[in-house]
Amino acid sequence: MEIIFGFISGIVSALGMGGGTILILLLTLFMGIEQHVSQATNLIFFIPTSITAIIMNIRNKKINWKLSKSIIIYGCLGAVIGSIIATRLETTILKKIFGIFLLIISFFQIYEIYTSYTKNKKTNNKDIKNK
Amino acid sequence: MKNKIIGFLAGIICGLFGAGGGMILVPAFSMIDKIDEKEARATSIFCILPLVIVSFIAYFKNQYIDWNIGIKSAIGGIVGGIIGSILLKKLNNQILNILFVIFLIYVSIRMVI
Repeated sequence: MEIIFGFISGIVSALGMGGGTILILLLTLFMGIEQHVSQATNLIFFIPTSITAIIMNIRNKKINWKLSKSIIIYGCLGAVIGSIIATRLETTILKKIFGIFLLIISFFQIYEIYTSYTKNKKTNNKDIKNK
Repeated sequence: MKNKIIGFLAGIICGLFGAGGGMILVPAFSMIDKIDEKEARATSIFCILPLVIVSFIAYFKNQYIDWNIGIKSAIGGIVGGIIGSILLKKLNNQILNILFVIFLIYVSIRMVI
């Protein structure tokens, strides 16, 4: 079962839609795995899957090194603080905060879909007019 | 300064939820740093890897690591990742995005209540 969930999340990640959150959700909601353990599983999951992507991206020269430097330095600092907070939170509270985070992400996604939809519509209309 | 805040925020999210750093970095890179989407995605994955390793250490120290589940999921993830990148060229992204959002809203409400 874990392999199937990993498989689904791998596909979703490759499509660029947040495979990690999907994996955590599948593990907690459908397998009843504890929130902290699910989150830790996603961290393990991320390492091998990202390394292959990173190698490909380096070859295709797609990584912005200058930008990466400050993100990584301050990101590591944030990650230390975030993970210490997470390990001290109770499961039920962490789960709720995670749910709220997902709701916020969902609203952003809806906004993004909406703007890309209206943009497409505009360019389509222009095409029709030009014809 | 902007990038320092973005990085710090992504780190907090990554450590707190074990996921979601990319959901901060990719839109931030394309909106604030104005880089194109492919470069934004590639740079975000590269930046998140060290954050994941740092978070992993904290979860490991607190004994939240279950290697059995972790390795099985990772194996599925590698295969899924390869298939997903092939599918990427053939699928309609907009419909997938909408389905994804509906799923997210449903489960997040279930989690909060």
